[in-house]
Amino acid sequence: MTIRGKAAIVGIGETPTDRLGSKPGESRKSSAEYLAWTMRLALEDAGLNLKDLNGQGLGVTIPTAYPQPFWPEEVAEILGITPGMLFSGGTGGAGSVSLLGQMSAAINSSMIDLAMCIGAAAPFSEYFGGGIQPGDMRDWEIPYGTMGPNSKIAMVMRRHMHEYGTTLDHLGKIAVAGRYHASLNPAAYLRKPITIDDYKNSRLVADPVRLLDCVLPANGGKAYILASPERAKKLRKRPVYLKGFGERSNPSYGARAGSDALVMGVKDAGKVAMEMAGAKHSDINFLQLYDDYIIVVYLQIEDLGFCAKGDLGYFERIDFTFKGQLPIQTGGGMINCGQPSTAGGTLHILEGVRQLRAEGGDRQVPNAKIGLVSGLGVLPYGKNLGCCAVAVLGNEA
Amino acid sequence: MAELDIRKPLPGITTEAKPFWDAAAQQKLVMQRCHDCRAWVWTPRPSCFECGSDRLEWTPMSGKGEVYSFTVIRQVAGRAASKAFERDIPYVIAWVDLDEGPRMITNIVGCAVEDVKLGMKVSVVFEQQSAEIWLPKFKLSLT
Repeated sequence: MTIRGKAAIVGIGETPTDRLGSKPGESRKSSAEYLAWTMRLALEDAGLNLKDLNGQGLGVTIPTAYPQPFWPEEVAEILGITPGMLFSGGTGGAGSVSLLGQMSAAINSSMIDLAMCIGAAAPFSEYFGGGIQPGDMRDWEIPYGTMGPNSKIAMVMRRHMHEYGTTLDHLGKIAVAGRYHASLNPAAYLRKPITIDDYKNSRLVADPVRLLDCVLPANGGKAYILASPERAKKLRKRPVYLKGFGERSNPSYGARAGSDALVMGVKDAGKVAMEMAGAKHSDINFLQLYDDYIIVVYLQIEDLGFCAKGDLGYFERIDFTFKGQLPIQTGGGMINCGQPSTAGGTLHILEGVRQLRAEGGDRQVPNAKIGLVSGLGVLPYGKNLGCCAVAVLGNEA
Repeated sequence: MAELDIRKPLPGITTEAKPFWDAAAQQKLVMQRCHDCRAWVWTPRPSCFECGSDRLEWTPMSGKGEVYSFTVIRQVAGRAASKAFERDIPYVIAWVDLDEGPRMITNIVGCAVEDVKLGMKVSVVFEQQSAEIWLPKFKLSLT
């Protein structure tokens, strides 16, 4: 079963990141405004019109704080699209990567030949309430006074440090590389370079998680447009092909007896995606990894098999910057560019596309041909991240 | 006193979890075990997550385990968080691996937060939260 080379990303759109509404009296924008803005950018990039999307695919990521079950239809209404196939990105922060797989399958079956994935959120400008909690969190976590994802990731990070002797120097190397790339990316939000000491001295948020371990919530919108290879060849930009895709939701690494909370579904999803792409580790020119926390990036490098679990020497040896042996987070990641709720994960696809089009500017990975992107979402009871999707992208089919 | 009147969020007593809460009110820790494949099934649910059987049996647990990992909560943060926890700060959230295998999210109580260590042996205690709810928490084992 393969969808290798059967669909290509032909357009990307991304609004600038902001935190409008975080200060009293500041002007605000709604999610609808970010959605419309993002779509215009994506259509312009692809050289397509709004009407081109009618009868085609529309995939919408579902923001965490907007519990309206018919949100994808509302987005179609806001934008003025009559989709022939409406996809719902229900895997949290993994949504936009999951939709790459789903929409490519539909394109591969010839039911559609074009599809747009779009998402936006404005957590600082709009407030919809705290959202509805999954039952396992409501009944088995929150009564103990857990403080959201920080509490759980803190336990994951502490366990990794305990089991493998991982230090803040190992983890901080990822934070420093990400910020360095952000300093070279005009669209990043946090652009002042940091040192390893800045990371180590940043404020403890949920011991041992520090401020510079955490993602930056933001307002914004992100979109990409996918097309069949035939259609892609007629459009403006160099197509970026989906070469491999893998997904694992509810991997049983969590609360079950004897399970390892330091392994994520990325391990299986990545294996499937790389095999489909026919790509070896040495073929991968860069990684854009879902980064709600630094430790989560770290775990994925292990889970994807670039080194063994707990191989500290690998993290000491490898240069993760864009000119290094394994470039990661080449635009700075969500940690430095901002996370507009579940739309945030789309960032990694967009940066992957830029690199493969050689649009990376001062942070361009030399001769980038193949890259791997990941999306993660949901922190269910007793588990590390519950939804994991991996895609391998390339600039040749 | 007004501060103390803020209620902590309580678990919903779902039909599949009611036997758990009934036992907890009697200071007993029970979990489901599959009659067919013998897997421990936690959290409570209608069928076995290993084999799909609906023959799950409520089984008494030893109440003993060890700390797999933990964090110390020093501030109430986030939109969904309840201010009611402010009076407990600092407190410990932990993953406890029970001797039988399942891993629970819980609190470690009865000692200074600085004394909590990974691998520490702990045993269950119950704290009453409402007429119906006694929450299982863990303290340092003396034996």
